[in-house]
Amino acid sequence: MRTRLLLVVGVAVVVGALAAVVRPWGAASAEADVPRTPWGEPDLQGIWTNEFDTPLQRAPRYGTREFFTDEERAALDEERLQLLGRDRRVERGTELDVAGAYNSVFMSMKRTGRRTSLIVDPADGRIPALTPEAQQRAAADRAFRLALLQATETCKNNSPACAGGTYVPTPSPRRDEPLGRYNTARMNRHYGPEDGSLSDRCLSGGVPEFGTAYGGSFRRVVQTPGGIAIFYDVGQGQGFQRNIVMNGGPHLPPQVRQWHGDSRARWDGDTLVVDVTNFSPKTDFFGSRENLHLVERWTRTGPDTLEYRVTIEDPTVWTRPWTVVEEFTRQNGKENRVYYEPRCHEGNYGFPSLLLAARLAEQAYAERRAPHPALMDNATDFVGVEENPLGR
Amino acid sequence: MRLNGSTVVVALAAALAGAGIARSVAQSPRQAGSPARPAPRPDRIEGRPNFSGIWQANNEAHWDLQAHAARPGAVTQPGVYPFEYARVAAAPVVALGAAAGIPASLGVVQDDGGIPYTPEALAVRNANAEHWIDRDPELKCYLPGIPRAMYMPYPFEVTQSTNKIHLAYAFANTARTIHLDEVDPPPAETWMGHSVGRWEGDTLIVDVSYFNDKTWFDRAGNFHSDALTLTERFSLLTPDVMQYEVTIEDPKVFTRPWRIAMPLYRRMEPNMQLLEYRCTEFAEEFLYGHVRKEPLVKRWEGETMIVEITRKVPPGDRFYEWLRK
Repeated sequence: MRTRLLLVVGVAVVVGALAAVVRPWGAASAEADVPRTPWGEPDLQGIWTNEFDTPLQRAPRYGTREFFTDEERAALDEERLQLLGRDRRVERGTELDVAGAYNSVFMSMKRTGRRTSLIVDPADGRIPALTPEAQQRAAADRAFRLALLQATETCKNNSPACAGGTYVPTPSPRRDEPLGRYNTARMNRHYGPEDGSLSDRCLSGGVPEFGTAYGGSFRRVVQTPGGIAIFYDVGQGQGFQRNIVMNGGPHLPPQVRQWHGDSRARWDGDTLVVDVTNFSPKTDFFGSRENLHLVERWTRTGPDTLEYRVTIEDPTVWTRPWTVVEEFTRQNGKENRVYYEPRCHEGNYGFPSLLLAARLAEQAYAERRAPHPALMDNATDFVGVEENPLGR
Repeated sequence: MRLNGSTVVVALAAALAGAGIARSVAQSPRQAGSPARPAPRPDRIEGRPNFSGIWQANNEAHWDLQAHAARPGAVTQPGVYPFEYARVAAAPVVALGAAAGIPASLGVVQDDGGIPYTPEALAVRNANAEHWIDRDPELKCYLPGIPRAMYMPYPFEVTQSTNKIHLAYAFANTARTIHLDEVDPPPAETWMGHSVGRWEGDTLIVDVSYFNDKTWFDRAGNFHSDALTLTERFSLLTPDVMQYEVTIEDPKVFTRPWRIAMPLYRRMEPNMQLLEYRCTEFAEEFLYGHVRKEPLVKRWEGETMIVEITRKVPPGDRFYEWLRK
């Protein structure tokens, strides 16, 4: 009798152990049919992307309505279809025509998604109001950039790039001002690399990642027991490896700042929760820099779907936190269409050429062969992008 | 019903073994509502050795794969003697003093320690070494390539799953995925190669191909062409030391396959994590400084040491020309 009991206990332990192998937390899981790794974690692996176009912010005309009707989606697709391949030109041979080389032809276009905005909170689907300090910073930044444009045809012709500015036929006395804040966007001045945009310098690509109008937004997830790796393929060769720590330790000390922040992850039920801080002041996410704080929630929702939900907060920039939701679709693993080798920098002929051209323009002006360089707009591009009804 | 003792022993052994499997494999770090704790790393995943974790080479291969004596600087010039062994540090690094020297090494090239260059390729290697600053892609923060990324003086992290093994490198924030499952080849040649792996017992074997001709093996000018193919072998010597071996083939550059081998070591710090080394920004002055409006590098005056560095980029070695060669 006693041996028999031992045997029963033994078998029970074996069964229990095997059950633990398959699903360590057993029936506690709410989504029992979520695909799992052999070691029991929800399986988030594969190449994921948003297969639909959804604007980050909701057009005000939709109010608090979260979803389009099917008819609205079809109408928007039809309207956007007319833009496909449209090569809108301004007068040939002008600066703006050259600047418009990146036009709708270069835009990637996907079908309209069901959501009216990626932002789900606040209820109006829009980025919350800036704090007064952030408004001042943004206004000062805009004023400086407009000053650099004031003597160009862009302002003379009231182009959208000069919105808020006025045409003044002489170069601004502000043109030689040193930068008071780390520059992240292109300006109409090219004194050195720091005047360039992060994108032109091959330093863009960051979290949170919501895609761009002119490049993919793919992420490859690979998991191991107690670890996860995410590699992003974004923009035009500006992808990046994101290192995620799952050792339960505290965030990096405040003096250690990173372009992609410090990501600390844990499992909350079947959701991977990633807390991201320690961003570098050299990054800029809609005005938020070193104080940006993200809480991401990655949840496998079906055989080929994954929900990504991120709450974004920075009390020095926004008056309240806001939340974005994206629904990703898993891509064919064998086709492996992820560009995991970003080589923007290796092929960056454009940026040194821009700087060299600026030096040549200064030389030509000094030799009275050309007008003052400040009369030329070498910053504006994407002419006609504003026609997209989904906006960006 | 009577059972004999041995049956019970077998049952208990099975029970203990089963529990052991559960402990070593099923270590989900999910701990809702409580602070997460580091999950102990299982020794094996699906029966294979688990290479997951952060590793780093601890050798001098990044300076020169081959055996070499210590040198006074990464860039040297003839000193007062006419002897090669008595060269002194040259302008680009002289201000760094003893911090700019190169440590000696017994090398990591196997067999006779030689790299079997064709005569033409050897001449290129020697010219590469002479024009190191102009030509080494590392200085430009270009993607480092394989195998170089494996033994640069920066850590890398392995995330091992069942069908993919992902390697993330601190240098240039780059990465590669080793595919253990079927996958289409890349649409064009690559800097980091296309890695396809398989298991032979407890050894991970990775074939790497689809390279371009723009990466190097080290800072000594050792190079390859776009015909490069690698066969890497990863095996664990202990839980915290792996043996890394590579067979290198490139019929355009080498007369026969050759091998390098070295141990790689686990970074044991309990708070170890991969930190960014996003050097694109660090190389901007190097690459674009000459097209600034106001150059940052100026002649130093007064009691400050004056370092005059003249570095004229030789014709054909300007970065864009070099890239297109």
